[in-house]
Amino acid sequence: MDYSRQIILPQLGDSGQKRLQDSRVLVIGAGGLGCAVLPYLAAAGIGTIGIIDGDVIAASNLHRQLLYTEKQIGLSKALEAEKYLNAQFPEAKARVFNQFLDQANARQILEHFDLVIDATDEISARYLLNDTCEQLGIPWVYGSIHQFQGQVSVFNYREGPNYRDLFPTPDPAAVSCSDAGVIGTTVGLIGMLQVNEVLKIQAGFGKVLSGKILIYDLLSCSQQVFEFEKKPKKNPQVEPIAFPLLSIGEAVLPERILMDVREIGEIPQISMNNYLQVPLSKLSEMAQSLDREQEISIFCQSGKRSQQAAELLHGMGFAQIRLIKGGANELLAYLNYEKDIS
Amino acid sequence: MIKVHYFGIIAEAAACEQESISLGEIGLQSLISDLKEKHQLDSYEFQIAVNRKIIQDPSTIQLENGDEVAFLPAFSGG
Repeated sequence: MDYSRQIILPQLGDSGQKRLQDSRVLVIGAGGLGCAVLPYLAAAGIGTIGIIDGDVIAASNLHRQLLYTEKQIGLSKALEAEKYLNAQFPEAKARVFNQFLDQANARQILEHFDLVIDATDEISARYLLNDTCEQLGIPWVYGSIHQFQGQVSVFNYREGPNYRDLFPTPDPAAVSCSDAGVIGTTVGLIGMLQVNEVLKIQAGFGKVLSGKILIYDLLSCSQQVFEFEKKPKKNPQVEPIAFPLLSIGEAVLPERILMDVREIGEIPQISMNNYLQVPLSKLSEMAQSLDREQEISIFCQSGKRSQQAAELLHGMGFAQIRLIKGGANELLAYLNYEKDIS
Repeated sequence: MIKVHYFGIIAEAAACEQESISLGEIGLQSLISDLKEKHQLDSYEFQIAVNRKIIQDPSTIQLENGDEVAFLPAFSGG
């Protein structure tokens, strides 16, 4: 293929063309958007193009899915799209998956690609695609249409925001093309905008549509771009700090201070030397008066509050924190046993 | 005057793509509640943008004259 006319674009050049040649791009769905993007990806020189779709060609597809003809009705979209690419763009290496994307296959298919184009027509597939791309750390180019309007965005690009940051909750009222109606020019135009984002990302020119969603309205020929941000994670997965553990026998040595972080009145009640009751709810306030260099061994009923208390004290600068294996019941049993044998 | 834009299925439900609302200063949350009731949008999921920025917490936003509000649902076709 002779790419000379695009290579002379200063934004692309030989190096940009080489980057396109080295790219592996997966197209999810070989329907309206898929048929629009596939020839343009291949024609631009994308080296490896994946196609995944488990659907077959129907007569009602042909007005907007221009890779197929009447003779192919009933045949696999993925396999027929592959045949088209092989005949028209033999330099592009096509990898075909004649199945729908699902929880079981998503990761093992997506991990072979650098970037994914969303050409699905289902909201649930987009959440699956989003979560898999986030796990694998690969960007994806979103495209979706509603009648004469289309949306385009780039998600998970260089740790930028993703689909869930924009649309956290699936819309139960969302409708497909077969229900809402669609005309070929809408999917054609939105597909072009998607391919354009792919070329920018892979060759490295222009400004990528990350953190922004473009909405194009073909009836008024108007477009608007809306900005959005990454949502703060509600439950950041922070690894618990591993504090040294002491057995009860080690913990009750006279030089140690045992801190009980249960609330006042919780049973069993403990009575012993070097015992300090500091309920977790009052810990940050009461710990102000303690020596931060003093070794402190913490226990509670089950161990959960001990870990929380230890992390809180660690954050306040306490240097020698220990956790006691077992809770108040085990400690009391040990103390009673010691009393009995003495 | 506050201009409100509706997109996709929300425009269908509201039976208009935009409307102008004459109000003094109003909280974004109140405006959303009023328009949800007016157009019966309770069963829809959408995001809200003010002046082309998607708002994560509408309860913190006070609208002013000239602001543009958009109702943005996820599209699903392809």
